[in-house]
Amino acid sequence: MSDERNNRDLERSLRAALRPADPGEGFAAGVLARLATDPARAPRPRLSRATASWLAFAAAASVVLGLFVAHQRQVLRTEQGLEARRQLIQALRVTGEKLELASRAVNTSERSTDSSHSGA
Amino acid sequence: MSGEPAWTEGTLLERASAGDTAAFAALVRRHQRSVYSLSLRMLADRFQAEDLAQEVFLQLYRSIRSVESETHLAFWLRRVTVNRAIDRLRREPPLSQAALSEADGLAAEPSEIDPILERRLRALLRELAPAARAVVLLRYQEDLDPTEIARTLKMPLNTVKSHLKRSLAALRERLGNEDPDGRSLASDARTLT
Amino acid sequence: MSSPVRKWILILTPLAALIARVATAAPAAPLKLPDFDTLAAKASESVNVSLDAGLLGIAGAFLDPNDPEDAGAKQLIAGLKGIYVRSYTFDRDITYPAAAVDMMRKQLEVPGWQRLVGVRKDKEHTTVDIYISVEQGKTNGLVIIAAEPREFTVVNIVGNVDLEKLRRLEGKFGIPKVPVPEGERPSGHL
Repeated sequence: MSDERNNRDLERSLRAALRPADPGEGFAAGVLARLATDPARAPRPRLSRATASWLAFAAAASVVLGLFVAHQRQVLRTEQGLEARRQLIQALRVTGEKLELASRAVNTSERSTDSSHSGA
Repeated sequence: MSGEPAWTEGTLLERASAGDTAAFAALVRRHQRSVYSLSLRMLADRFQAEDLAQEVFLQLYRSIRSVESETHLAFWLRRVTVNRAIDRLRREPPLSQAALSEADGLAAEPSEIDPILERRLRALLRELAPAARAVVLLRYQEDLDPTEIARTLKMPLNTVKSHLKRSLAALRERLGNEDPDGRSLASDARTLT
Repeated sequence: MSSPVRKWILILTPLAALIARVATAAPAAPLKLPDFDTLAAKASESVNVSLDAGLLGIAGAFLDPNDPEDAGAKQLIAGLKGIYVRSYTFDRDITYPAAAVDMMRKQLEVPGWQRLVGVRKDKEHTTVDIYISVEQGKTNGLVIIAAEPREFTVVNIVGNVDLEKLRRLEGKFGIPKVPVPEGERPSGHL
């Protein structure tokens, strides 16, 4: 019973601690500005006047938000670098595992071959 | 919001699918808090969270014609946000403590619990593995039941339940062990209520 | 009792030095790896890494010099031109990909490449071959082909593989620790 009560209290605390957080002001504008420069955006149908006005505003905002785009590129470069690092560590780990496999096999092999001059 | 027609979400979806950018922007504003909060609590970094949340909406724009209903939209946003966050966490090493301390962004409403406990819970949440963290967030932030969580994450229901059980146990144990006065969580709960 | 790993590294380094004296110019290009798509499709886990000199440079820039593991890795990759790994893990025993291995072995039968270790463990259905390529006293290529019942791995390292630095990574990244007894040091460094 006490455990159930503890769980309920913890759950209540979690719900309170995890109440939603707002992104910064201009988040939606940031999305639209990014959309304006996104080469993969889907083709749009013929524009209404209201949509055309909105796009003119977005184009003007994109000049100001050019710095923001540059920041995003930096984020992308960082992601690529971290991915390369992750792959490197993974490659070294696999290499280490296979060296260990070889060492165990050499130590306990039933039939090991001497180093051979293959193809020379 | 001023100047924004009170369209239903269904209408906004239809209009956005037809290329109405204003309707799309309205959808963004309606869902940005949920998407951003999920990103923030998964990634524990405000800049990364904002970047991820924007990416999710960009992807929504490209895929909007495949979203069938308001319910589907909410499901779609949660799934894409969590999957992208987990992908990022798998690619990147853990954040420094300095970055973690900045990740407790401003919540939309004032706290109902002790702010120290609140910070501690968020910090402990960040120590959970990505999949477990996602399950806990979908349960206690998004208020999904385990079956909905299993659908969202494409995870077996028993795995969801197991994550919840173990995560709560781990959180309870850590909070109990770390109380400076040696009081258990049960004592704290009596104080909080 | 000396560690088996230390034993084979001790064998490798002077042998590589000996071979260097008679080796002709060795190829520096990466091994042409077979298409492992069929194997990958059956695998429960795959590791596919292809880091050329450019990507190694990028990865190196993100290694933390204050972290001992990262610092060791940074030193190791300093002379490298590429690291290529294909590793597949399966839920059940697989058929040895003989054709793929033959294709790779043919490339290693040219002058300059030498097989340093070749082990067959019939009971465990395990084979491990390690080849090195040496030019002017320096190892400039390493290939490991390891076949186990549920795992198949190829590692190709291109460039100046410093076995001493590799040895210094012992205990990190899964590379086995080699305790050096007091008063004893491995001879024949490359």
